[in-house]
Amino acid sequence: MTSAEITAEGIWLTDPPNEPVMVHFDGRYLWSFTPARDGARQGRVLVSWPGNLVRFLDGVTRLRLQSVDGETVWFDAEHRFGTSTDRVAVVNRAGEPLSVDKVGHLGRAFLETPDEIKREILVATQEVLTVLREETGVDAYLCYGALLGAVRNGKMIGHDSDVDLCFYSHKTTPVDIIRESYRVERIVRTKGWTVTRMSGGDIKVVRVLSGERKCHIDIFGAFTIPGGHGEGGRTFYQFGNRSGSFDAEADLLPLGTVTLEGLEFPAPKNPEAMLAFVYGPHWKVPDPSFVHRDNPIGVVRLNGWFRGFRDDLPAWNDVYDQRAGDVPRAASDFARWVAEQIGPEDKIADLGAGTGRDTRYFAKTGHAVRAIDFSRRSFARTRRIAGEVRADQTMFNELRRVLVLGARLARNPRHLYARHLIGCLDAEARTNLYRLASVALRGGQAMFLEFQATAPGAPVPQPVGLVRRLDADLIAAEITAAGGRIDYRETVVGADMFDDPDPAVCRMRVTWPAPKKESK
Amino acid sequence: MVNATGEKAKDVARKIRDKVRGTKAFDRSLRGRVAALEAELEADRQLHRKIAELSDVVAELLVPMQDRDEKQVRELLSQYRKTI
Repeated sequence: MTSAEITAEGIWLTDPPNEPVMVHFDGRYLWSFTPARDGARQGRVLVSWPGNLVRFLDGVTRLRLQSVDGETVWFDAEHRFGTSTDRVAVVNRAGEPLSVDKVGHLGRAFLETPDEIKREILVATQEVLTVLREETGVDAYLCYGALLGAVRNGKMIGHDSDVDLCFYSHKTTPVDIIRESYRVERIVRTKGWTVTRMSGGDIKVVRVLSGERKCHIDIFGAFTIPGGHGEGGRTFYQFGNRSGSFDAEADLLPLGTVTLEGLEFPAPKNPEAMLAFVYGPHWKVPDPSFVHRDNPIGVVRLNGWFRGFRDDLPAWNDVYDQRAGDVPRAASDFARWVAEQIGPEDKIADLGAGTGRDTRYFAKTGHAVRAIDFSRRSFARTRRIAGEVRADQTMFNELRRVLVLGARLARNPRHLYARHLIGCLDAEARTNLYRLASVALRGGQAMFLEFQATAPGAPVPQPVGLVRRLDADLIAAEITAAGGRIDYRETVVGADMFDDPDPAVCRMRVTWPAPKKESK
Repeated sequence: MVNATGEKAKDVARKIRDKVRGTKAFDRSLRGRVAALEAELEADRQLHRKIAELSDVVAELLVPMQDRDEKQVRELLSQYRKTI
């Protein structure tokens, strides 16, 4: 007999059911899980609350645990989290109810979405598909939850919260597949839609609906590459991370159609085969707690070929969301130290501008500043700073963006200012930074670096896992090897990004002597 | 006779091979080599994205830049940045 106890940690189940459990708060769907997969056995089984849900858990709610069809109810009672006597409200800023999706993100489930908004989302999806098919010429199709809903009963899946599209590339080499994805992105951008590149093989389009609502549509690449773990000496891949045996010639192309909420969409020729590939042989049985179990070999390949330029971005966005208030607004000591060494009219590029505290200082003291960071959270802050400030989003692991930034800076010379940046960069990104400096500093400007250096007994830097201490000798050697000249170097007692004291902060002033021209 | 000798030699070889395979040194060395191979393979995989990025810059920027018109180059850079 299943029984449940609710705590701040999670849901404790005695004799847990061997099927998905749906969690409702005040009669609204919130989350689902499968005890055997998601729980930890500690006598009873504990299924922890998803990380994104925890901050909402303060107050009272009618909590119900039920089966997918709702016929079995394992728990249904008022429960109080924390100290608040308000009803628990898992909502977005507009007050709209959110639920936890299969990757742990909070989204707006279709179950709670008004019909007219669902219609808008589907029309926006059709428009994106039309651009993909007619303007980029690729075979684009509806996939994942939307396809599943269309095939099951022609309706959107209630617990789903987004619409995913895929397109099949006939290229068979990763480099060509990436270039095709770039080409598709360029054409999609001409529509004025906001596009974010998630990897070399997938992009995300943001469509603005009525009432400033936004809907995110993923455009995933799919392709077949010789070799790998698929049958017949070739492997079919489909972003996010699906890979294995799927015969695109037999079951995907030429595309057919499916009907979803009364609208027609292009779909795999044999949608059932695609659904079996994506969700496994039991795809017909509804399971809102479903999570993909991807082949690890395929994931390693996809990561190596297509990813690696924005790995830390989600974690940094969390830092901006949760800890931006811990970063002082006043200028850092390093900024003041740099200001003493540059001309009053000199322009500056603040690399890794973060919350923009030093961008603000330089702008306020009359410098033209270009604020550069890889996070849109930073971009959103720095672009609002008063003064002669231009904000830019650049990932130091993405070579083409670095090259373009270097070319622009070379035409509009500035000092490069990078406080607590290089400790966040891997070796490839540091190489790109030096490349940028070598191009941008030809006019004699300097690059000012501050980073937490290795030292005996020095604490692990914050935010943990996102910043590393660096050996100052190693950095000096890298810079010299890249053609830079270290004009000044010191390691002092300083501060980290939150202005907490740090025993070993290295400061460097670096210039890049112009390469000698060959005499004729 | 030859066959019997051949079989015996194979037996001896098999025993030696099994013995060597059982040693930690071999195990370590093989694991080490596989790890090194995996790291090199990963580095090779990452080249795909680098080449894609470089060839994108060359195709979209450097080739049209050959006329060296500064104003056009600025516009081209600005335009290119908007598409990535």
